[in-house]
Amino acid sequence: MRDILRQSNFDLLREINLIKKTLDSSSDSISDELRPYNDWVLLTWSELQNKTVRNLQDLDLREDVILPEILSSTQSVTIVFHEFNQRWVSPVLRALLSDRLCLKLLRWLHTSHPITQLIPIAIGDGDFSSLPAPPMPTIYFMPPSAQRELLYLPLFFHEFGHLLYACQKGEMDIFVRNLQEKISQLLAPSVQHDDRHAQIEMERRTAIVETWYVWIQEIFCDAVGFVIGGPAFIHAFSIYLRMLGRGEYRLPPDQLMHRPHPVTWLRVRLLADFAQRTGCDAEAKELSNTWNIIASAMDIIEDYYGYYTPDFLPTIQQTIDQMLTHATPRRFSKQEISNTELVLPITSPVRLLNQAWYEFLKDAEKYPTWEANAIDTFLNTDFPP
Amino acid sequence: MSTQWLAYQSFHRSYDILAAINTLSIHIKLMMVGKQDIGRNEAAEHARETLSSFFKRLETVVHDAEQGETKPILGTDPRLRQLARSFIEAKHNWRRYRSELFRNTITHVQQLLWSSEGKDRESLIHCLEELRVIIEQHVHADAVQILGEI
Repeated sequence: MRDILRQSNFDLLREINLIKKTLDSSSDSISDELRPYNDWVLLTWSELQNKTVRNLQDLDLREDVILPEILSSTQSVTIVFHEFNQRWVSPVLRALLSDRLCLKLLRWLHTSHPITQLIPIAIGDGDFSSLPAPPMPTIYFMPPSAQRELLYLPLFFHEFGHLLYACQKGEMDIFVRNLQEKISQLLAPSVQHDDRHAQIEMERRTAIVETWYVWIQEIFCDAVGFVIGGPAFIHAFSIYLRMLGRGEYRLPPDQLMHRPHPVTWLRVRLLADFAQRTGCDAEAKELSNTWNIIASAMDIIEDYYGYYTPDFLPTIQQTIDQMLTHATPRRFSKQEISNTELVLPITSPVRLLNQAWYEFLKDAEKYPTWEANAIDTFLNTDFPP
Repeated sequence: MSTQWLAYQSFHRSYDILAAINTLSIHIKLMMVGKQDIGRNEAAEHARETLSSFFKRLETVVHDAEQGETKPILGTDPRLRQLARSFIEAKHNWRRYRSELFRNTITHVQQLLWSSEGKDRESLIHCLEELRVIIEQHVHADAVQILGEI
């Protein structure tokens, strides 16, 4: 066993050293915005190297009694190295000049909140998502075309909500627990039976209540997206998702159970409700109407099979308000969402993103020219948080 | 908009626990065979703290999970819920899991972390060995989701 472990650790060390050479060779293309992330990658690389060397030192002690621990540690370091190799290294190796648009916005976003300002950022290619596990860096994923334009950047604000949640998980989980308790009470039958049917019903109620653990986080992140980005977030969210097919509007009950996201139509309902409560009546109405028209064209009737009913709404509203009060994301100002001519210098990215949607909706043909100039201006402007 | 973050957060949480189990086990085992292992003192203390807060959290979730299979576990992410359910399954598997961790309370094992009694240390080593099995199975599921399978 000792020889097998020695061989595996030497092989791991060889790979770890190889990746360092690759990282060193790409250090010239690192932008200022990506530098904190790159520093973290190098630090993590050094920790992986130390752990592997430690495994070899422990093997040199020649104590058979600790071989199970060295085996487990070698396997752990191997898996984490694979993750490092596949996930963490790639944002550095793929670094492009065009990344600056996303990175600059994300840097500004992280700086806008005291709890996230020291967390490094990176971007990767993929559908909109993020990997938040503070205090580790957050990688934000976005499809390649969206990385080079303004219109879908507000969707990062939703992802930032996941980071805010992760940073304050203990407190947030308490709000969620309270919500789940209330939903559980709302679902409780007025009369308890003790038969097979009652058992199945109880299992279904359990599934609904547990599913809401992740659903409320998504609803919270949508609210964070709106609170930061205003109408620009609503437009980006709606247009990106509304043409993705029937599954965005309705799903069978077996697909709702423990689903990581609520059905998008429900998210739209709750986002519109939140926008309306925040005073953006027109945007809320337009959002609801658009989704109703598309659903109607597909003959889809709204049904969440008990996973959501209107009597959940007050407790959802209350929970989201509590979570937002605790998380305190930056809030858009009236001035940032006003549809007036963009005055230079740009005072905030939120102002720019709302103006982008205004220009696009006003004249989609002329928009690309406007956007190219706006991106240039954005990249050459320093923003206060 | 994917949600790999759930597996990802769970993966890192489990990895920290595994590292703590291995560090503390090696430290105690080396001391039991007469080696001082001074170089690992600080890391072993940190491992005790990591395991202590993990046990505290696990105890709460396991308590909720033991209220019955049809009772929901509240305020807990899906991966931690799964870990608690795996723990309860192990408790019912008398043949495979025999350490104090599954035969006594989690609080009791938490107290063993800082004990210098030889008997307690042996008992703790046994608990950590069995906990490692559960965590390794758990982390494998997360790793498959994050990294895929070859």
